[in-house]
Amino acid sequence: MQTDSKTIYTPFVRAKDSVWEVMSDVLLALIPCAVISYFAYGEAPLFVMFVAVISAMVGEFIFAGIFLKKWNTLLDGSAIVTAILLAFTLAPFTPWYVVAFGSAMAVIFGKILWGGLGRNMFNPALVGREFMTVFFPLVMTSRTIWYNKDYVNFQDLNIFNFLGNGGFTEYMNSIFFKPSGAIGEYSVLLLVLGGLYLLLRRRISWHIPFGLLVTFFILLQIFAFKDIKFSLGGILLGTLFMATDMPSSASTKMGKLYYGAMIGLVAMLCLLNDVKYEYMSYSILLVNGFVIPINWVFKPKVWGENINLKERVGAGVLLTIGIVATTYALVYLHHFDLVRYLIFAYILIVIGRFSFSKQLH
Amino acid sequence: MMHIFSMKSKTKQMSISDIPDAPVLYLPLLQHIGQAAKPIVEVGEYVLKYQLIAEETRNLSANIHAPVSGTIKAIELHPLADGTLVETIVLQNDFRNEEITRPAIEVDNLTSDEILAIIKGAGIVGEGGAQFPTFVKYNLLGKKIDTFIVNGTECEPYLTADYALMRDKTEELFRGILLINKVLQAREIVLSIEKQNKELLDIFSPFLSQSEYKNIRVAILPNQYPQGGELQLIKSVTGKELARGVLPKDEGLMVSNVGTIHAVYNALVESKPLTERIITVSGEQSKKSGNYQVKIGTPISHVLEYQNLTNTLDDKQLVLGGPMMGKNVVETSAPIIKGSSGVLFFKKKEIKRNNCISCGYCVDVCPMKLMPLVFAENYRTGKIASLEKYSLNSCIECAACEYICPSDVPLMESIKEGKIKLNALLTHAN
Repeated sequence: MQTDSKTIYTPFVRAKDSVWEVMSDVLLALIPCAVISYFAYGEAPLFVMFVAVISAMVGEFIFAGIFLKKWNTLLDGSAIVTAILLAFTLAPFTPWYVVAFGSAMAVIFGKILWGGLGRNMFNPALVGREFMTVFFPLVMTSRTIWYNKDYVNFQDLNIFNFLGNGGFTEYMNSIFFKPSGAIGEYSVLLLVLGGLYLLLRRRISWHIPFGLLVTFFILLQIFAFKDIKFSLGGILLGTLFMATDMPSSASTKMGKLYYGAMIGLVAMLCLLNDVKYEYMSYSILLVNGFVIPINWVFKPKVWGENINLKERVGAGVLLTIGIVATTYALVYLHHFDLVRYLIFAYILIVIGRFSFSKQLH
Repeated sequence: MMHIFSMKSKTKQMSISDIPDAPVLYLPLLQHIGQAAKPIVEVGEYVLKYQLIAEETRNLSANIHAPVSGTIKAIELHPLADGTLVETIVLQNDFRNEEITRPAIEVDNLTSDEILAIIKGAGIVGEGGAQFPTFVKYNLLGKKIDTFIVNGTECEPYLTADYALMRDKTEELFRGILLINKVLQAREIVLSIEKQNKELLDIFSPFLSQSEYKNIRVAILPNQYPQGGELQLIKSVTGKELARGVLPKDEGLMVSNVGTIHAVYNALVESKPLTERIITVSGEQSKKSGNYQVKIGTPISHVLEYQNLTNTLDDKQLVLGGPMMGKNVVETSAPIIKGSSGVLFFKKKEIKRNNCISCGYCVDVCPMKLMPLVFAENYRTGKIASLEKYSLNSCIECAACEYICPSDVPLMESIKEGKIKLNALLTHAN
């Protein structure tokens, strides 16, 4: 008679998938954009990415080891994804020590102190970015990190010239390559291709990008009389790669639609209220904070049960009011240069939470 | 629901064959939902094949018969596959197969009550896995049945026992359906099969074209898991979404597994009680995969021996039933029982659990539209009461969530243990 004491639960077969496969799909989707950055500013953006990756990996190895007693978390690939995504939001000539700082903070304060991959409430890359803005305000707002004429590789890559002369060719060329903005924003076309790849691989669902872009561009039409300036590359990078980050986004289909729509709304409110550069990271981080109630309000209708529509709509309205009110509070803090206190509070809360909650260790 | 790899090609083409009978059979008195049967034989007594050896008791129970002739060796506690100890009749096979005299039954003249009585006498329970006593299920108590769904959607990977039965014993199946419908009087009979098995239509069509079978129609359903779940099947066939806990009978519906129907045929036409069934033997470690007719009570170790596999669990993972909802075998001496659809041999694997990354795949595939990731999180953090808010008790434990999970989060453990804790909490609160 053979006995096995440990209870084994169903199922006995599993789909062939893993966190590493999820992360490597995201990396694959990001590679074309990383490559095109070389054509813009040569080694400079590659160096930023390299520093970010090394710093994130070292941070992950040491701090996940010490705090979480897990020494193999590097294998899931999430530190690399976070680092590349962070680098994509940065200027190509950001000093290496600032990049290293931001990347380490992204991993430590964005992820590990929450209890590790998946337990974080906010997008780690954007958390890292906010840390950089708060702790290195002068560097992050200086103009010199955005341009250095010694490094300009190509001003344009007119690969669509074969289509002949004309507006369409020009347009195609510009969405394929435009060396302005942050490292990840040089090619709208390659960002979209990366997003399509993730859609096909079901690493993201269409709900978040759809909700976000539809809301954003409808509002853009409504406020067409205002001169709203935004970066299409930035919007797409945020929409396809940041807002869709699995741990920090909504988990149900309806929840994802609403979550995306709210990011679109908050981003537009930021733009309308003169938040010139941070609109995308603010909107994503802000709505990240509402994911738990979003999942609750937009939970699927359980099989065979009836849905209390009135109650749900009421909760949805309240939630929206809460998000809009928070947005205005954030805009206010932003204009009075008080956002850093939010980050200080965040640091205290995350450390406190980690110290006093046994379930995280 | 979701697409799942099928793995059925290993055994699909194989016709039903026999595994030689085991020298000792273990017949648990509890092979059904409800109360254990009461033994009516004594240790040392000689019994004939098909002889009644344990009688159903009043509350939801089922008769148990001797699958072979031989001597009652013991009546003692013996483990089921999952290790639960159950009072079991141990029967020493004398390999003479001396039968009781089976009464000849005039099937065509049977009344509805007589049919029910024979089903009850034969100890038939649902062979799909639920093991609900069939005579209780078919006893309508005045309710009317509109649609009788014959469940041939064997959605678990690897299993082809129902397929083999539909292919090799088609006439018996069709006759069984009509006999049962004498009781149910359903207006419409739907035989459901999966798209991957649609070649069965060629075998069915000679029957379907006969006038006596004109009430039967075949529904070809998508290859989805868990398409064969009772509630999912009802929705696919009739469009009705029944909440968990609602009796299909109350909604004019009846669902029966093809194996159960075949057992009813055997009881009525051959006057044989339920003492054998068809199982699939398969899995990556299996050496003689196939669809086998085996005696109920055959110990799993006997199948191991037949496979020339060592009688140890150190190097393999044995499953009784399907790979999604079956039981982890912790005792190789445990028997194949009335609801066992297969014996599967897998490699032993260590599963590395990671944190949930909230990808939401589990939410997407949940056939009951639940949020499995929330169950895991609340169970982990000890928020048992909030499991109720997310309708944990609607979960049918199909394991689709954990199958699809890229982090291998212990979802099924959270769900199964969570249910136990939650229901203890709920009972306590009342």
